[in-house]
Amino acid sequence: MLQVRDGAGETLGVLFDRYQAPLLNFYCKLTGDRGLSEDLVQEVFLRILRHRQTYRAGTPFRAWIYQIARNARIDHFRKTRPHLPFEPEMAPTVHEADPAQQQQESELLHRALMQLPEEKRELLILCRFQELRYDEVARLVGCGVSTVKVRIHRALRELREAFHQLQAAPADFPQRGGPQNFPPRRLGHEV
Amino acid sequence: MKCEQIAELLPDYLQQALRPDQNKLVEQHLAACADCTEVVALWKKLATLPDEQPSTASRERFDAMLHAWQSGRAENLAAGKRPSLGSIFDWLRSPVGAVAWSIALLALGAYIGLQLGGTKASSQDLAAMHTELAGMRQLVALSMLQQESASQRLEGVSWTRREDRLDPQVLSALKHTLRYDPSVDVRLAALDALSRHAAQPQVRSSVFDALQEQQSPLVQVALIDQLVEWRDPQAAQHLEKLRQSPNLNPAVRQRADWAISKLN
Repeated sequence: MLQVRDGAGETLGVLFDRYQAPLLNFYCKLTGDRGLSEDLVQEVFLRILRHRQTYRAGTPFRAWIYQIARNARIDHFRKTRPHLPFEPEMAPTVHEADPAQQQQESELLHRALMQLPEEKRELLILCRFQELRYDEVARLVGCGVSTVKVRIHRALRELREAFHQLQAAPADFPQRGGPQNFPPRRLGHEV
Repeated sequence: MKCEQIAELLPDYLQQALRPDQNKLVEQHLAACADCTEVVALWKKLATLPDEQPSTASRERFDAMLHAWQSGRAENLAAGKRPSLGSIFDWLRSPVGAVAWSIALLALGAYIGLQLGGTKASSQDLAAMHTELAGMRQLVALSMLQQESASQRLEGVSWTRREDRLDPQVLSALKHTLRYDPSVDVRLAALDALSRHAAQPQVRSSVFDALQEQQSPLVQVALIDQLVEWRDPQAAQHLEKLRQSPNLNPAVRQRADWAISKLN
């Protein structure tokens, strides 16, 4: 990243190769909208170029890029009202090796995740899928580590409730409840 | 141990960040508590959700964006470094600095007059003063946009951002800057300033015009992005026209294709 900051734009390609998949999955799981997610990934890298001078040596790059990713999404919400983000085609794809029951569980879990309030969904995604540590997430969202842990615990319990409800009434797929989206609070430096 | 006590340890257990003795405590609890076991199972199950794979088009879009950026950067370097701001004293002695000082002194004088006069100014007086200040600000902006130094023209653009609504003369100057300023930075700044006043009809038409005339890929990409943001019904036809340009930078053509697909 220091090379990018100091003008070697081509080095950004290496970062793109490394981070585009994690970022795409961050956005897909958060928004349920693949097209939007791809646009936001591009926006993140455009912002890195525009704001590369704000990167300070020694700052963990992973935290910095997720800060940019969060802000890009917040700004997107400011400009456009959130539409129904869950797309049935975003449900996990069928793998031949998966037993049918496991596949169904996977779909239900995905839908249960989409039903969580976005704030909780984002925390789970950051901690579980992006494998950020609690202290990294705490800095990212601007709260204490213990608060993150409490919220993770609550989010998991809420996820369990949503999962149970879907198991009890899976027939009304996919519109039931729907995800609860709201623009999260913008924190940290402006990038 | 009760569930409430385990709840404090469970998040760290999930990230395998507990000491061995704490880990053992949690596992003992899990062996006897179906409720907490289910939460842990759900956490593990989350990892089984399949990942999305980036498309090849994603890398192509990124390459186009990077190429446009590098082209713009090369153009900037060829045009020479942006002149420095110079010393503050030099600026204060310049005609523009003098106008800025005039505004500051006018505002200060009005404030002192109001305080010492002991009488409340009528709303008409205040409105007149406000108008006069706005006029002075516009004068500064217009003067600075005429300067030879790119950094002073950038300053001029930033002065226009202080207005809620652009005066026709300032709008005209900004439009001219967007189309003809030799510096890419100043043209980009002018676009940014104009985009804040998208409600004024002439602003959009000036962006449409600039789109066909610009040669800098960086500015072209910025203009395209602006059109996508506005979602103007006329944007697609202007982008289509741009696509037909014979010597269009491939990266810009790709960006235009992307924009047309977004707008349709």
